[in-house]
Amino acid sequence: MRIALGLGIVCSLGGVGVTSAAAQTATQIVTFEVDAINQIAVAGSPSLVISSATAGSAPTSATSSGSTWDITTNQSGAKVTASIGSAMPTGLTLNVSLVAPSGATSAGYKALGTTDTDVVTGITKVNASGLSLVYRLDATTAAGVVSSGTRTVTYTVTGGT
Amino acid sequence: MGTTRVLLVALLGLASRPVPAQGQLLVSGSPPPLVVSAATAGSAPVSVTNSSTTYTLALTLGTHKLTGQINAGMPTGTTLSVTLAAPPGATSQGAVALSTTPRDLVTNINLTVASTRSITYQLSATSAAGVVPAQTRTVTLTLTSAP
Repeated sequence: MRIALGLGIVCSLGGVGVTSAAAQTATQIVTFEVDAINQIAVAGSPSLVISSATAGSAPTSATSSGSTWDITTNQSGAKVTASIGSAMPTGLTLNVSLVAPSGATSAGYKALGTTDTDVVTGITKVNASGLSLVYRLDATTAAGVVSSGTRTVTYTVTGGT
Repeated sequence: MGTTRVLLVALLGLASRPVPAQGQLLVSGSPPPLVVSAATAGSAPVSVTNSSTTYTLALTLGTHKLTGQINAGMPTGTTLSVTLAAPPGATSQGAVALSTTPRDLVTNINLTVASTRSITYQLSATSAAGVVPAQTRTVTLTLTSAP
């Protein structure tokens, strides 16, 4: 009776998994990839008011700093374009200038229209934040008095490979 | 009496079997693809993780450790890390970046019962890594004696 019980204990230990040294490794196959990523964001809601001029000259342009923009792209040769939702009143021009991230090129002040305009080009595999973004509003004397209006400026990062 | 003698011989035969030096290591399978596909503007791409697989260690005799390595280097700017949750009494080394040389993942393993714990993979990429087409790496986990 005792002998039979002892045999049972030994067998149960074997069932727990005491094994030979041959089973010391295990493998897994890990598949991975990185997709194309292009993200842009802007911060700030600038307000521009033209209210002065030097006698004999056109009204003095207004600028609005303090806005910033951020970008992440893992592609090469990407660019940022900008456009506004509807045309500016006659005689008014809304311009924007973006500081470029490292290795890219800013177009400087560019007049915004309803079609896309390149504002930064040559953006390659970078993430950068807090880059300066400046608006400038120009008006001719012929524009006259223009009541307050708003425009939505849309920025798009595109074109990378 | 004759029956008793037969059982005794069988018992002695099992008990004199050489004591295994190391336990058994099993994994539950391979994880699904890890795909980095998003970022917050201004920041590096968002890392992805997966904890769907597990490993099981059977009884170990003596102190052991688990190491991990991959069969080929990762593309520049990408990192494949793995975290193995530790069995009772053992120590996980946390997230460990895998390379072609073995890295300690869990140390001080001294099990008296089988234990199943999670495996967590993390894939991270810098923006400079660019677009990386799908590829695979074989991750080898090895249980070795570590006195």
